[in-house]
Amino acid sequence: MDVSQYLEIFIDETSEHIQSLSDNIMALESDPENKDVVNEIFRAAHSLKGMAGTMGFKRMQHMTHDMENVFQEVRNDAIKVDSDMIDLLFQCLDAIEGYLAIIKETSDEGTNDNEPIIQKLNGFLQSAEAAPAANDVAAAAEPQAKAAEAAGEKKFLSLELNGKDKKKLQDEFVAGKQLYGMTVYICKDCLLKAARAFLVFKAVEEFAEILVYEPSSQDIEDEKFENDFSIYFASEEPLDKVIAAARSVSEIEDVTADVITERFLEDNVAEVTAVETKPVEEAPTVTAEAAPSKPSSGSSSAAAPKKQAGKPVTSRTVRVDIEKLDALMNQVSELIIAKNSLVSLSSSSGAGMQNQSYQEQIEYLERITTGLHESVMKVRMVPIESVVNKFPRMIRDLARNLNKKMELYMTGEETELDRTVVDQIGDPLQHLLRNSADHGLESAEIRKERGKPEVGTITLNAFQEGNNVIIEVGDDGNGIDTEAVKRKAIDRGIVTAEQAENLSQKEIIDFLFMPSFSMAKEITDISGRGVGLDVVKSNIEALGGDVEVKSVYGEGSTFTVRLPLTLAIIQALMVIIGDEKYAISLGSIVSIEDIPITDIKYVEAKEVINMRGTVIPIIRLNQLLDIAPPEEEQESLTIVIISKGEKQVGLVVDDLMGQQEIVIKSLGSFIDNSTKIISGATILGDGEVALILDVNTLM
Amino acid sequence: MAAYIESNNNNDVAEEKKQFIAVKLSSEIYGIDIGYVDTIVRMQKITRVPKAQSYFKGVINLRGEIVPVMSIRLKMGFEDDVFTNASRIIILKIEDQGKLGVIVDEVKEVVNLGEDEIDKPSHDTKENKHSFINGIGKNGNDLISLFDINAMTEEN
Repeated sequence: MDVSQYLEIFIDETSEHIQSLSDNIMALESDPENKDVVNEIFRAAHSLKGMAGTMGFKRMQHMTHDMENVFQEVRNDAIKVDSDMIDLLFQCLDAIEGYLAIIKETSDEGTNDNEPIIQKLNGFLQSAEAAPAANDVAAAAEPQAKAAEAAGEKKFLSLELNGKDKKKLQDEFVAGKQLYGMTVYICKDCLLKAARAFLVFKAVEEFAEILVYEPSSQDIEDEKFENDFSIYFASEEPLDKVIAAARSVSEIEDVTADVITERFLEDNVAEVTAVETKPVEEAPTVTAEAAPSKPSSGSSSAAAPKKQAGKPVTSRTVRVDIEKLDALMNQVSELIIAKNSLVSLSSSSGAGMQNQSYQEQIEYLERITTGLHESVMKVRMVPIESVVNKFPRMIRDLARNLNKKMELYMTGEETELDRTVVDQIGDPLQHLLRNSADHGLESAEIRKERGKPEVGTITLNAFQEGNNVIIEVGDDGNGIDTEAVKRKAIDRGIVTAEQAENLSQKEIIDFLFMPSFSMAKEITDISGRGVGLDVVKSNIEALGGDVEVKSVYGEGSTFTVRLPLTLAIIQALMVIIGDEKYAISLGSIVSIEDIPITDIKYVEAKEVINMRGTVIPIIRLNQLLDIAPPEEEQESLTIVIISKGEKQVGLVVDDLMGQQEIVIKSLGSFIDNSTKIISGATILGDGEVALILDVNTLM
Repeated sequence: MAAYIESNNNNDVAEEKKQFIAVKLSSEIYGIDIGYVDTIVRMQKITRVPKAQSYFKGVINLRGEIVPVMSIRLKMGFEDDVFTNASRIIILKIEDQGKLGVIVDEVKEVVNLGEDEIDKPSHDTKENKHSFINGIGKNGNDLISLFDINAMTEEN
């Protein structure tokens, strides 16, 4: 089978399973007795195994198979979960992720067998196997005793066979074949019972010839059965092997099987001769164990149908190449420009065009394009969950490596951002978290001395604010020692001692964002290599965002990352300065004020206004942008108040044009834009180019 | 087949002779390698970009695309452009960097120059503005200074 076309789906779904495993292993660590979690892990490992097998990735299959085995034992209480096992499981995950990374690059899983991990996994298994294996032998030797007990489950023994089927079986028996009966129990919450049954048949048929179906195969196909069905088959393979094959189908609760004797056929009465069929791992608690699997049915049903359709039934989604969305987005952008020019045409042209229905149609078109834009943007939005959900694991590992106690609290994982942004924020956020864990939090002893709880707290909060998404990474650790930073800056020759005295808290903290300005006293695995906050800053700025820090020495620090919600189209206020037009993102605007010239005051020779008790500095945009000031000084100024975080600044403009949806275009690489005041350009309805002011650079 | 060979021969001839767009700047004629030229547009409103290099006039809207426009005159240290009806913006396509418009006073014609019709620039003029020139073409009696596009688009 050519599986290359499924490779992308495989990669996506494997990542999902790895994430689910990671989450659940974390949960297991805090609650080792939780059977739901164990079942969930078992299922994820099982699905991974199946998928890897289908794709022909033998090494990956091998590893997941062994993981699955270990969990089988955990399910049966044969092994207790301890921290060694958790560590090992994480190693397994890393190894699987390693395979996946190689598969992504080369479509092949590579050659790393990860032998040590597999050996360790088997080590767990062997320690567990010793005891129950003995039971198994005993059970096999004394089948009669067990038979009564299991009769309730072995329904095939008590089924009435019709003459035709009986004849069929007898014929086979006469032909000297070994006959078996099997009853399969499907999970009660299984959604596609017929499909499950079909998969069981397929699995069994690999080793055996199915002779009789009960209920009939047609009824099974039509789902006309409760939660169990029975089959009779002839096989030359050992019974265990057939049972294992049937069990490998997901959402199968239990499988029982037995040898059929001639006497059974004659009497059609329960008579058991040979083996206790339940595989070793399945203790008599099988049915009890299946019940708690209900809460996790969402993921199990999502995992299960993969074998048929590769599509989860829980949410109906289609995976789309981001490039196709980009193309769609570009077309929507063109449409908006065309719409804008129609709007400006209709408002500027003569009376002939001004009839009412024409206006109505224009408004209608405006609504449609706006709606279309929003829909396309929404399609591109994904929750940051996919990035942040790997962090709890990371913090756990860091806590071990650093020998500190810490706990990560996250909120707002569901906050959505443009896909392209989400793909890029992982590294910067990871760096900030590492920074908090390594430099921020103190060791448990010091925390005790300082009267803080021994376990340090790291927080990651995400939320939307206007046109931005804010992600705050904070800790309750040491905070930034501004004196130390200042000394370091002086040592480095960045500032002189005198200059340093006059620096504000913020200016000092900003040194941390300079290239190769590491405060780590020694280089560790985690940070201190000198590539640090400056990379974070440049990564985030490349996305059109920014990052700032607040810190109280001794109490902790918070890094605030601000990212634009969308990259391509924004709502903007168009302003006029001199005879030039500029766009200001609506997201940063607080209000627009008309301020009499007499209300302008001076603080430290800078112009400020006092607005409802807040002193706000003002910037004359004509001076900033080298535009000749208006010839006569007006009596009042139009001031656009913008904000970034808690800071506010007033921008003096000559006139307002109104609000507009604008398509952001790049200025290209030729023009020097090192001041970053201009973040791009847009084309107005009349074809004129207007520049977009990045007001964040003004604060 | 004959036609194919013939067209092939024509190509050979075309490859031997390089095509240049002859443009006027002040009183001199300059040549721009046609391989770099994307299109030529009439003068249109140029939106100034604050804080940009002094020789950048700004950006224009070229069929929905934002294209920066440079003044060759200012870049070479001449006096500022005076826009007339004959002024044109030549849109150059520079590999990996996108499009760039340059302002010329007038577009004259397309000239074909063979290898033997192009001289290396003389040494004593190889300073300042002439560093943008990498050859002198002889088109009949006229001399054409050939622009080194890469040098011209680099930062001063």
